[in-house]
Amino acid sequence: MDDYLIGVLSNVGVISFIALSAYLLLLIGEISFGQQAFFAIGAYAAGIATALWGWPLAAGLAWGAAVAGAAAVLVGVPTLRLHGLYFAIATLAFAEMVRLLCELFRYQITIDGEPTGPNGADGFRNIRYIFENDIGPLQFLVLIYALLAAALLGFMLMERSRLGVAFRMIGEDVALAGLQGIAVARFKVLAAGLAGALAGIGGGLYAHLTTYVEPRIFDVMLGVHSLAYGLIGGLGTALGPLLGVLIDIGLLESIRSLAGYRMIIFGGVVAFLLIVRPRGLLDETVVHYVRRTWYQIGRGRGN
Amino acid sequence: MLELQGLTKHFGGVRAVEKVDLSVAQGEILGLIGPNGSGKSTIVNLICGLFPLTDGRVLLHGTDISDLPPHARVTLGIARTFQNIRLFGQLTVWQNLWVAQNSGEQFGQENFLRRWLGGSRRARGEIDRTLEFFDLAHKSDELAANLAFGEQRRLEFARALAAKPSLVLLDEPAAGMNAEEIDQLDRRIRMLRDDGVTILLIEHHVELVMSVADRIAVLNFGQKIAEGAPADVQANPLVREAYLGTATAA
Repeated sequence: MDDYLIGVLSNVGVISFIALSAYLLLLIGEISFGQQAFFAIGAYAAGIATALWGWPLAAGLAWGAAVAGAAAVLVGVPTLRLHGLYFAIATLAFAEMVRLLCELFRYQITIDGEPTGPNGADGFRNIRYIFENDIGPLQFLVLIYALLAAALLGFMLMERSRLGVAFRMIGEDVALAGLQGIAVARFKVLAAGLAGALAGIGGGLYAHLTTYVEPRIFDVMLGVHSLAYGLIGGLGTALGPLLGVLIDIGLLESIRSLAGYRMIIFGGVVAFLLIVRPRGLLDETVVHYVRRTWYQIGRGRGN
Repeated sequence: MLELQGLTKHFGGVRAVEKVDLSVAQGEILGLIGPNGSGKSTIVNLICGLFPLTDGRVLLHGTDISDLPPHARVTLGIARTFQNIRLFGQLTVWQNLWVAQNSGEQFGQENFLRRWLGGSRRARGEIDRTLEFFDLAHKSDELAANLAFGEQRRLEFARALAAKPSLVLLDEPAAGMNAEEIDQLDRRIRMLRDDGVTILLIEHHVELVMSVADRIAVLNFGQKIAEGAPADVQANPLVREAYLGTATAA
């Protein structure tokens, strides 16, 4: 595989985590413009763990996910009392706050005679774990997709459980969900925490993939894109947001002749789909028919 | 089992419900009737906790539940249907029932994980029987939004029963139904009562209420104006006045 393709696929994989994060909140009917904050928290936490504290990569990624998840729960408790536009604004404000704090955050330790660690607006350089441990780009790509597959498996299992159905009920009609015995407030915080952890894993992978992070990467456009991926790809299945990422990064950003027009095409696609297919390409109806046809084929074979 | 004491709800200056006292005995069918806008649906919403009381109390088995959130009231055995059908249209028929089922087991309890993350096999049989009872078994895997109107009404009723409630609040279950469907509904309500479920029935369809209700309470402008056996209520001059207006006003 050539390096360019590996780079694009790695990017698609990493961004998929934050897309899944926004998707999980869309399931419960909340629009967050702030998932990039947890992506940032995961990136810094995981980077600090491996580069400054000498932790192994797995522990660093888990730590990044845990810190991001905990932050999401803390933010979720007050903000999830808000609905719709107000929740969206609150998440946006929080994410901008995190980005600005990253610009102020300095925590450096001298390693091999060189100061290493987050250095305010200059960012966090030299997260060199994959060089020091001879992990090639292809190996790291496999790691990203193994984790992504695990996350997708988790989503598939969740969607088959009462929990997944309960999340969708909250998304469709909050009051009615409460009348099914669902403790809505707690389930929302649970979803926010899981979404934060997912974004955190993505952030940790991103930090190690690019070996440095800058606060400006985590600006609001990252959040807007991750939200749009679910809305383009569809909210009927976790594969929806991945389809969204593939369309945006896999096609628009990577095909060189299109790259210059990326934002124009992307904005147009979002606007068009919101009118024609408000719940994305793979919406609930499509997923339902695909699933039913699949079972019917299965049954046909059985007979 | 259910007791409303001085139940009051004001929306701004509108006195939707004013000092209503009402009690429903274990195993009875209480019909609640009244002209449009008399506060019937508001009372149902207050019993299941959709909005806070202005004043008064809701007691279930003698315990004050006025401050409990809706999901906790469901856990205590209160279920309802809606006047304007409310289903989860993007979920399948049986998913609509699945979550409500056994909602007595709650978050934080040790079986939380088994309840929320466990598979569907254990639940299937029971849900299939409920769907059978409501003649919906063949629609089990259909999206709720794709059902016909009558089927949606039945699904709402089925979903209310999936939680195995001890008290069911039926908010105009016959609205939009034809004579045959109302007959079926009548039978299902009786069967439910025979199973020991207490029922509060709000209904405009007078024949249905007169036929199934053990007692009837009448509301007008948010206040209770009559209560008693169906025949007595029917003969009550205040009730006639509320529905038809006074001779002078007319």
